[in-house]
Amino acid sequence: MSGKLYLKNQIPAILVNLMGMLALALFLFANGNQFQTVLFIFAVWFIILITYLSVVYYVRKKYLNQLLDTAEQLEERYLIPEIMTIPGKADEQVFYQIMKMAEKSMLEKIGTIQNDRKEYKEYIEQWIHEVKTPITAIKLLCENNRSSFAREILAELEHINQYTEQALYYARSEHTEKDYSVRETNLCDVVHSAVADNKYLLRQSNMTITIDDIENRVYTDDKWVRFILNQIIGNSIKYRIEQPVLRFSATKTNDRVVLSVSDNGIGIPKSDLPRIFEKGFTGRNGRIGKNSTGMGLYLCKRLCDKLGIGLTAHSENKGTTIALSFQMNDFVIRVQE
Amino acid sequence: MKKIFIVEDDFTIQAQLKTLLSGNGYEVFAVTDFSQTIQQIKAFVPHLVILDIKLPGNNGFEICSEIRTFSDIPIVFVTSSNTDMDELNSIMLGGDAFITKPYNTAILLAKIAALLKRAYPSPQAEFFTWNGAALHPASSVIEYNGQKAELTKNELKILYYLFKNAGKICPRNDIVDFLWDNQLYVDDNALSVNVARIRDKLNRIGLTDFVKTKHRQGYTL
Repeated sequence: MSGKLYLKNQIPAILVNLMGMLALALFLFANGNQFQTVLFIFAVWFIILITYLSVVYYVRKKYLNQLLDTAEQLEERYLIPEIMTIPGKADEQVFYQIMKMAEKSMLEKIGTIQNDRKEYKEYIEQWIHEVKTPITAIKLLCENNRSSFAREILAELEHINQYTEQALYYARSEHTEKDYSVRETNLCDVVHSAVADNKYLLRQSNMTITIDDIENRVYTDDKWVRFILNQIIGNSIKYRIEQPVLRFSATKTNDRVVLSVSDNGIGIPKSDLPRIFEKGFTGRNGRIGKNSTGMGLYLCKRLCDKLGIGLTAHSENKGTTIALSFQMNDFVIRVQE
Repeated sequence: MKKIFIVEDDFTIQAQLKTLLSGNGYEVFAVTDFSQTIQQIKAFVPHLVILDIKLPGNNGFEICSEIRTFSDIPIVFVTSSNTDMDELNSIMLGGDAFITKPYNTAILLAKIAALLKRAYPSPQAEFFTWNGAALHPASSVIEYNGQKAELTKNELKILYYLFKNAGKICPRNDIVDFLWDNQLYVDDNALSVNVARIRDKLNRIGLTDFVKTKHRQGYTL
């Protein structure tokens, strides 16, 4: 509460007092009182008035500051009417009523939006499950009737599958509820299944794949990691050069296992590197006509953050290395031993 | 011949699965009336059931627990939903495998083969013969007239594919596909190199001109 403004608000009361003083002065002088007596009465009046104003000011200020503090500490600030004590003053009660009304309409709005989002998320998930049936049917049809034509369709199908997965995980990552379950996972299996998911695309691009010894056990959600690897492999295919190479390797230190995926593609410019995990960021590689969406790596980062995996990118002129670092805490290590 | 029962409500997938599985040496029957699924399974007496979760009438979980009341045959759940709840449910109710759509046919076949092998173990190791040569996948050895040659992983898988399709022409692309499905990521050039090495080994044990090249088509035994 600003003191200046408070004083300004008190101007009518001060004026009334001054007018009272003036009237009293006239009355006292007319009755033949001494100037000193009148001065004394005024001095007392003045002191009482000042004391009253400043006491009211400090009491109000303390109360309001407290209220402000509570509001600031609150995560959902619109809920302040639920916490504050109901004020006693007539006008304050009206404001309190207004705040209550505002809170109610806010809560209603949030409720509907949350509901809508939940329904939309459910619809997206359902849609994706439904679209997977025809994708499976096409895949089976092509694999049962192998030809170069079928192979091309299978490669495109892998694109479609990647995009649908992206939509699914986007819908999931938007929600705070837990959609994953952490369990012991063999990195080797996840990498092989991610490669299998992109088999026809990798074959089509003549990618040479090397998988070093990665028989490492980590604690994570294999489906999420598989999705993340799919996105990374997809990028390696998209930004490849002649005679593309893709290498998976793992290193184990005391408290972590780092899985590195390296390619010899066009790489990422140094100026773009800090921003590649931002939503919608496409950078130089996006501008050279590779139809980037800026979603893949953003999603990878989000999912990694949720799972507690460290995700870093490294690129020097040519080639990119994406490293996933899985934490192995003391507990896990002790259980393993 | 092992018998597989398919419970799948999408008819294209059902038909294609039938083609795929019967092409791989299984006797296949697919459900025709979803209100009679259990009766049809009882009548067919399969060695393994492939079960979708979302079905008209009773869902896959209900069917699974009902099957478990009278039989402990392997059950493979195949579904397009990949939530943890579904996976957990399928395991709790006695499912043996959980595969999400769109599945890799090689992985599906491998899983089926592994489950069948575990549920119905056969005493002797599997081996193939063709024109007097015998391939032993378990020990990765090829034998001819008492002479043996050791094979590397790549060579074994190439020969395995050729033996399985003995007499047929195997396109190079299909062989590479098969190798990729077995987590051996070789390219076309590497295939040629491997085949040359195989021929070398075969020559040494007296098998000449065993693997033939069909120009522009592929290899054949």
